[in-house]
Amino acid sequence: MIVTGEVTTAPRPRDGRHVCLSYDDPGEFRHQAGAFLSEGAAAGQQVWYVGPDAPEVPGLRHLAPADVYPGGPLDDPDEQVAVYASATEDAVAAGFTGLRVAADATPFVRTPERLDAFARYEHRIDRYLDTQPFTAMCAYDRRVLDRTTVADVACLHRDHNVPTVTFRLHGSAGPGGAALAGELDVTQDATFTRALDRAAPTVADGELVVDGPDLDFIDHHGLLRLAGHARRRGAVAVLRTPLPIAARLAALLDVPTVRVEAR
Amino acid sequence: MMPDGAAAGRAGYLHEAVYYASDDELLAVVVPFLREGGEAKEPTVVALGPEKADLVRRALPPHTAVTYLAGGAVYARPASAIRAYRELFARYVADGATQIRAVGEIPRPAFGATWDWWARYEAAINHAYDAFPLWTLCAYDARTTPSAVLDDVARTHPRTATPDGRHDPSPGYTPPSEFLAHWRPVPDDPIQTGPPLVTLVDPTAAAARHAVRAVDPGLPAQDRDDLVIAVSEVVTNALRHGQPPVRVAFWAGSDRVVVTVTDAGRGPTDPFVGLLPTGDGATGGLGLWITHQSCNHVTLSRTADGFAVRIIGGNPH
Repeated sequence: MIVTGEVTTAPRPRDGRHVCLSYDDPGEFRHQAGAFLSEGAAAGQQVWYVGPDAPEVPGLRHLAPADVYPGGPLDDPDEQVAVYASATEDAVAAGFTGLRVAADATPFVRTPERLDAFARYEHRIDRYLDTQPFTAMCAYDRRVLDRTTVADVACLHRDHNVPTVTFRLHGSAGPGGAALAGELDVTQDATFTRALDRAAPTVADGELVVDGPDLDFIDHHGLLRLAGHARRRGAVAVLRTPLPIAARLAALLDVPTVRVEAR
Repeated sequence: MMPDGAAAGRAGYLHEAVYYASDDELLAVVVPFLREGGEAKEPTVVALGPEKADLVRRALPPHTAVTYLAGGAVYARPASAIRAYRELFARYVADGATQIRAVGEIPRPAFGATWDWWARYEAAINHAYDAFPLWTLCAYDARTTPSAVLDDVARTHPRTATPDGRHDPSPGYTPPSEFLAHWRPVPDDPIQTGPPLVTLVDPTAAAARHAVRAVDPGLPAQDRDDLVIAVSEVVTNALRHGQPPVRVAFWAGSDRVVVTVTDAGRGPTDPFVGLLPTGDGATGGLGLWITHQSCNHVTLSRTADGFAVRIIGGNPH
């Protein structure tokens, strides 16, 4: 075997409850949203579409952004989570198995302030849907958003289609409320640093726990970023992952504000 | 307490070589050295293979206060040895030690294909241990140690201790900054005579990591993981600090994987790179230090085309 070029390995299956779709063809979003929502409708979920030009899905509610994001630019990420939590409860009360939404979120991240607030919301809603019957596809238009913006939101989903973003930082039922997945190396440094600030894993008893059951790789830069974030928040980062590489690197680095627990 | 014996009046590290041609010659040097350390209640350490450690233990008076370390474990990898020793010495100093003594012997397998990084170790520790009030004897069996290795030992140990009790300056001693200023050419591993299984040009570190998994012949999991860590660090360094093109080539044998990472740059300038955590984040020193700790052999070299790092996962001998 002589290979020149890319060597790929099979990716592990992704969690499809909160996916990011970056597109430069609106038809692609409409098509993917149609498939995503049809699957939800077939599973007894209430299905909403937020954006122009709705796909044809039985029982679909086609909503304008102002119907779902009444506050316009987000001031409080938790207020927006409350909107969907209330809608999810209503859907369940009406006999649905849950609520599934496909939304074009491009308008909400078009300025740095909006991006920052919406990215915080993306993580908060991911924590919510970790335990509640809510699922979402968030679409972002690459024709009007720069690569950094798309990367910043993509990494906060459980699955995304941005090949240059190799990790995800999503919600978790663990004590820190956050989990790291995929591969994290120095090419992700800036994106990861902002993602950590926006996700702001919960600090409890001096520990900032980040779960990593689906972490495939982390390099020393990633561990140092985690340590630095925890240090700024007066805590010790605890990365809980079965990935042997993480424990090995933590031992080699011997940085006081990051620890790896093998589980 | 002030340093005594040959270390009297000195601050810092006294690094002596011992060439012995019999067990009696070895004991003639190390037994008085260890006995004096024990009697003076100085932290006194022995890091020898099991047979030599037994020999020394039997020759010392009973209850001599000596700490025995497993020589094979201490001398697994040079960067790890430096780190473990520095941590140990720092603890002794924190506990009030004003002189520390140690006797060590690098295990014989190191005198083969991996000697180059042990030669760098012997040079680097003159600097790396100089922060400690330390006196060490490094034992070499003159009957079995290759002459090229003995030449390096003479150049890296400022003093020589002899069985008749002398402690002489080594005439050929070369300060570490000079000894380490040039990387010596490294012969190819035998499996490098064939074409590489995989060659990547300007890959991402992720692609290089995936290639390790693709060519892995079934290395023990820790060896494979260590190689993944190392390849990721070295490719990252080449992309960030080197000059394109970055070429990464992979060979696999039944018990090892050889990876070369070359770029068109000049490589790092720090003579201690890899052996000490010299990185300030700007030069890739931390990545090479991690690589040296996590792989069974790492060589750095300048080639006609630029700078090359060769990493071996699995059996390097």
